[in-house]
Amino acid sequence: MDDWKYKPAGDLGLPHHEAFKSLKRENGLIATALHWIWWSFVRAYLNLWHSLKVEGRENLPNDPPFVLVANHCSHLDALVLSAPLDLRLRDQIFPIAAGDVFFTNPAISAFAAMMLNALPMWRKRCGPHALAELKQRLIEEPCCYILFPEGQRSRTGEMLPFKAGLGMMLAGTSVPVIPCYLKGCFEALRPETRWPVRHSIQIRIGKPITFESVPNTRSGWEQVATDLQAAVKGLGYDRVTSANWQT
Amino acid sequence: MSASERLFSPMRAFEHPVTYTVTIAVAASLVLAPLVIQGLAKVGRITDARRRQLWVRWQTWMVMAPLVFAPILLGAAWTIAGIGLLSLLCYREYARATGLFREKAISLTIVLGITLITFATLDNWYRLFMALTPLTIVLILTVALLADRPQGYIQRTALGVLGFVLFGHGLGHLGHLANDPNYRPLILMVLVSSEMNNIVGYVLGKRTGLPLLPQTNPGKTVTNVISGLILTTGLVMILGQSVFRGTVLESWQHLLVLGVLISVGGQLGDLMFSSIKRDLGIKDFDVTIPGHGGLLDRFDSIVPISAIVFHYVNYFVGVGVGESVRIWTSRG
Repeated sequence: MDDWKYKPAGDLGLPHHEAFKSLKRENGLIATALHWIWWSFVRAYLNLWHSLKVEGRENLPNDPPFVLVANHCSHLDALVLSAPLDLRLRDQIFPIAAGDVFFTNPAISAFAAMMLNALPMWRKRCGPHALAELKQRLIEEPCCYILFPEGQRSRTGEMLPFKAGLGMMLAGTSVPVIPCYLKGCFEALRPETRWPVRHSIQIRIGKPITFESVPNTRSGWEQVATDLQAAVKGLGYDRVTSANWQT
Repeated sequence: MSASERLFSPMRAFEHPVTYTVTIAVAASLVLAPLVIQGLAKVGRITDARRRQLWVRWQTWMVMAPLVFAPILLGAAWTIAGIGLLSLLCYREYARATGLFREKAISLTIVLGITLITFATLDNWYRLFMALTPLTIVLILTVALLADRPQGYIQRTALGVLGFVLFGHGLGHLGHLANDPNYRPLILMVLVSSEMNNIVGYVLGKRTGLPLLPQTNPGKTVTNVISGLILTTGLVMILGQSVFRGTVLESWQHLLVLGVLISVGGQLGDLMFSSIKRDLGIKDFDVTIPGHGGLLDRFDSIVPISAIVFHYVNYFVGVGVGESVRIWTSRG
């Protein structure tokens, strides 16, 4: 049986600076090689400088599609969240990054695309069309997203409410969502600082959740956001002592 | 001429009359082109849209022409390296257009094959150059096995083999011409005459005559093809007399055949890649060159011409006869 289909690159015909921003961007050999180099470096850096500890690694699916969601309080978060993932999946993992931060300057945009493999989310003009495009890619390709549903970094270290836009992508799908809690990132790289300081970082990875039975309506999207926020927050409490894991 | 002189020295770049004639002619055309475009626009012979299109093309050629001429004038090593890079970039466009780029192991094998072919050419090691094609094909067929995914195996490997044969082996022949001490006028003659085909097609446009293969390329008419054939063959016969002076290829019969081969080969290259584009449902291979599309949209005709010219010249007079072979790899 024949399963080959001619399928030109999703970003074919776009100039480089446009391709970096495209949600249809696909990786070639150079990008793959850069991802390997970059993520190997990041992993080594996090282990050596921040003594990265990962709890619940067994909850990570072996293959896409899946979505990782976590609390967001530092520019280190996406790097930390990607670190436990298999290097084999490196080309299929897309951190969803703020377009207005990572995709306006050409050099930063090239870095975000070629090294981080990030896809942009334009916070002020993120319509249903962009979310539908992301959802389609997540399921059809399939791939993995790293998402911070708070929509912005917390300036205090306290979790902000999750936005319902995430629900538009996940309600009614069988894509597993893995809630994660990041500890130590805020102290390692505070919003007002430029360079990270030496501070231990931990990730707690929760059990996958699916939202197949949740209706793809506004109330369903809000339910997805509420459930995930509770799951992430729950991971922030120590299971043994019931003390808040944040502190 | 020693091997290192041929590879790295630009000192004798303008020794051959064809080299400086072609270089000066191209430079003069680029200088005069804006005046011609303005003149044509002023007397109303071209539309405003056409004028803008010609401006973009002129600007692109102002960048492309030095990129093509500089390595050829600087030395054979730069020429071979430049053609190796062109092969890799053309493969990249082909892989992105067909979707083959998603097969990372196959693509990596092809990149390795093209790199090795470029090295064999730099080393003037013809046996390795020829051996690398069947060996790379075997490697493509082997690495495709490792995915343990028989579905689509034939299509994936066939696309890989076609890509390697076109851009590694095919374009590699153009690089191998640089192992001849007379490579500068020879390669310039090939490039300029193949470009003549394209220029004739562009100037005559779609208005004249019946399309040759309307489904494949409605813009290529019988008139275009015949006009290109006459002008390209004429140009090859004029330049060839000087390029091949003192050899059997100097005769007008040989030059006539070579001119026809270059023209027909160029037209075929154009049609082959038009066919690939129609099959894939794309207009251009990329947007690398403003006003032209991708590199493959510009250099498509060179792909078949390279092997045709190499083997024609090699059969009758030999390419690089008397030159050092295995420059880097031989112990002696």
